[in-house]
Amino acid sequence: MADDSDEERAKGRVIQNQPYDEALEIPDGEEVASTYSPTPRVNPAERGKSVGSMESNLSGNNSEEEDEEEEEDDEFPDDMGQMGQMGQMGQMGQMGQMGQMEPLGQMGQMEPLGQRSQQQRGPPGSLQGQGGQQQQQQFNSEDEETDSSDEDDDDEDDDDDDDDDHAPLEGAYDPADYENLPVTPEIKELFQYITRYTPQSIELEHKLKPFIPDFIPAVGDIDAFIKIIRPDSKPDTLGLNVLDEPCAKQSDPTVLDLQLRAISKQTTDKKVVVKSLESAEKNPKHIDSWIESIRELRRIQPPPNVHYSKNMPDIDTLMQEWPPEFEELLKEVGLPTAELDCDLPEYVDLVCSILDVPIYKGSPHRNERVLALHVIFTLFSEFKNSQHFRTLAEENKLDNNLKESDGFGAGGGMDDNKLTF
Amino acid sequence: MMLSRQKPAIGPGSTTPAKENKKKKKLPKLEDFLSSRDYTGAITLSEFNRISGKGNEETDLWIAYCAFHLGDYKRAMEEYERMTKHDGCHPDVWINLACCYFFLGMYSESDKAAQRGPKSRLQNRLGFHLSHKFNEEKRLMSYHQNLQDIVEDQLSLASIHYLRSHYQEAIDIYKRILLDNRDYLALNVYVALCYYKLDYYDVSQEVLAVYLQQYPDSAIALNLKACNHFRLYNGKAAEAELKSLQEMSTPSFVFARDLIKHNMVVFRGGEGSLQVLPPLIDVIPEARLNLVIYHLKQDDIAEAYNLIKELEPTTPQEYILKGVVNAALGQEQGSKEHLKIAQQYFQLVGGSASECDTIPGRQCMASCFFILRQFEDVLIYLNSVKSYFYNDDLFNFNYAQAKAAVGNYKEAEEVFLLIQTEKIKNDYTYLSWLARCYIMNRKARLAWELYLKMETSGESFSLLQLIANDCYKMGQFYYAAKSFDVLERLDPNPEYWEGKRGACVGVFQLIIAGHEPRDTLRDVINMLRNSSNPQVEYMVRTMKKWAKENLVALP
Repeated sequence: MADDSDEERAKGRVIQNQPYDEALEIPDGEEVASTYSPTPRVNPAERGKSVGSMESNLSGNNSEEEDEEEEEDDEFPDDMGQMGQMGQMGQMGQMGQMGQMEPLGQMGQMEPLGQRSQQQRGPPGSLQGQGGQQQQQQFNSEDEETDSSDEDDDDEDDDDDDDDDHAPLEGAYDPADYENLPVTPEIKELFQYITRYTPQSIELEHKLKPFIPDFIPAVGDIDAFIKIIRPDSKPDTLGLNVLDEPCAKQSDPTVLDLQLRAISKQTTDKKVVVKSLESAEKNPKHIDSWIESIRELRRIQPPPNVHYSKNMPDIDTLMQEWPPEFEELLKEVGLPTAELDCDLPEYVDLVCSILDVPIYKGSPHRNERVLALHVIFTLFSEFKNSQHFRTLAEENKLDNNLKESDGFGAGGGMDDNKLTF
Repeated sequence: MMLSRQKPAIGPGSTTPAKENKKKKKLPKLEDFLSSRDYTGAITLSEFNRISGKGNEETDLWIAYCAFHLGDYKRAMEEYERMTKHDGCHPDVWINLACCYFFLGMYSESDKAAQRGPKSRLQNRLGFHLSHKFNEEKRLMSYHQNLQDIVEDQLSLASIHYLRSHYQEAIDIYKRILLDNRDYLALNVYVALCYYKLDYYDVSQEVLAVYLQQYPDSAIALNLKACNHFRLYNGKAAEAELKSLQEMSTPSFVFARDLIKHNMVVFRGGEGSLQVLPPLIDVIPEARLNLVIYHLKQDDIAEAYNLIKELEPTTPQEYILKGVVNAALGQEQGSKEHLKIAQQYFQLVGGSASECDTIPGRQCMASCFFILRQFEDVLIYLNSVKSYFYNDDLFNFNYAQAKAAVGNYKEAEEVFLLIQTEKIKNDYTYLSWLARCYIMNRKARLAWELYLKMETSGESFSLLQLIANDCYKMGQFYYAAKSFDVLERLDPNPEYWEGKRGACVGVFQLIIAGHEPRDTLRDVINMLRNSSNPQVEYMVRTMKKWAKENLVALP
């Protein structure tokens, strides 16, 4: 594996490394001219308190570089303890707040990177191979760890494996520690078996579990000022004084259409679009607003008018009493009911003539009966809403004293008919 | 005196129902709808006029205009297409049609239609943006040269800067124009968008507030505010902002609906991803990335890879995700090729000027060095961000490995033990490294217990070898002996006998030195007797002799 990757490294060096190395050489990445750099930061002062502020903090720590390095390691468990509380509050989102606290010191560790890379990584392009190893040497000496790791680091690319081998030497078994045990030569001989077996160095696989970035919200793009021309050629302020977006309170097209019809008193051929609402149970707000707007519409709408094409008798005239003989007769015969064996137009003609409502033949819209019926129902509703007759009905006097009851009854019969209209 | 008034007395939001009453009798005017940007109302009115026979060519133009600003580009396109079929259609119709095509993503149609219109500044701006879409740098430059020092052209240029992630250049243009035109409030939102992209969320928030004060119902501004909240605080705070927008808007408000649906998924930590995101792919650039993130979180690496393999990365997030997916895939399939690609992406992002000081940038650098097995460097980067990841199992898994790799077993053990995810805890990498840490920290018994808890398998055999040899190396002979004893029984390899022999004598030595309890000798003798090697008798005899002389009771 190592060999392969070494070759690949060599290839990669030419193509990929340059921007990266530049970035490492310069402690604050600000001046790095980088071809792929998506966000040139020219404004560190204004930057959020998060990562930006740690830079300023870093520069103060320069002199303590090494001490800090060691302290950091020692303090680690404590830090973890402190971080525990904050860590539970949230992660990336907390940057701003957390940045002001303890972790700032932690970020100081990045400083050694910048410094060291200046000293150590002089030759650009050496990062992956040699540069890395040099750095490792320095680390080892700093950690005052082992003596032998230097040699191992020279062994080409096995650097990490060597760490595995040699780091444990600290505290490893040393036969010399037991040389002076007071034992018989027999046992001493037995002890030689210990060193006769050399334990294998087992290499363990490393597995990188790559970090998974946070979900990314979308903010959209900025107005490109590619806008169609206003039909009246007036200057458009969209995108300048106000964002080019519709306001949140858009009219409901159906409601507005109904309103327009109502206001203009026009009938059009256009069918009203019937609105439907998906998952209505989750949208009580929509339903409420619909009911409210329709109620408002009804309120402002004028009551429907029917224009009679010819003169119709006055309602008051129609409400006059019938002659007493007629009333008497009705008591016995009754008004013709809908049971009568005739078709509907005939029945309408019949009732209209009894009630003295004319039906003008030859009306241009062939709606002569409809007009007549309208008169009859107006008459009926007049009776129904009349305080005078209501009182009479409540006192049950209609039947005996005043014969209008029959007119009433007839009206009732008509009312049923209306349904079949 | 009243000083705590919240609602402005003048401006939007201060309109009272008085307006409603006025509407009662009079037919509403188109201009009223337009000035309040109620394009739905304007279209309804125009359509009403058209149907009642009062329509003319201008009515059609207005319908198209309103549909366009409503974001219903398809409708606008249809209107214009119809107009182009009439004889003697106004030449401006072509450029308008081209604009519609542009927003519908039909760039080559847009290009053709634009050519048929008369030369105009709008045509130049459109060509400028089209060349950006076509990635034709030369053409872009020629249009660029034709841009004039007028507001619209400059704003169009700023928009290109934004698209190319040159946010600072865009901000400069906006600020310059704002100096002369204080009333161009919308520019504040553009500046806020740039600051958002630069990760200056609180600055973005400040600039944005200027606009929101005047237009509290702006969908674009409220969405940006929600995104700022998401970055500064959490998903819940962000969701609250979007909810307030939804409450403010009427049911017929559909503008930016996709954007809001998308961000709701984001703010809810990916809830509903599979329903919402797939149709938004290539409509909202982030949708694809978020779907990839969702699959990664579900550990569905193949699906994540399928979604992203064709993507040519341009933004840092895209580079990062390409790196992450390749790393995950390379790790899963043992493919060096993918790991190599991943390492290069990580290096590119982590080393870039814009990302080297961000948390993801540092994670990238750490991952890059991890793949290169340069663990000292991994630690430098991980240490710099560790405070943000205390409870993050993925982070701790890598962090502990890196610590162990440089020989810092004590801390490695602590970090390994912070990990809670069962899947990671059953991973052989985890088990073997933790076992090694235990042994190096002289806790061989705990390593042995890790082995005991495992099902018998190739991996448990490997762990046994690890325990046997590492314990031996560290002079923890008792568990070395126990491990070699089992190994020898599983596989009668003479090497295991040698290991066991040495380890047993090692325990004996420790007993004599007083470092092991004396009754351990009984176990040692039993283990020796498990082997049929002729040396056993001699060794046992020697040990027993010592026991007798030192008054150690043996069975």
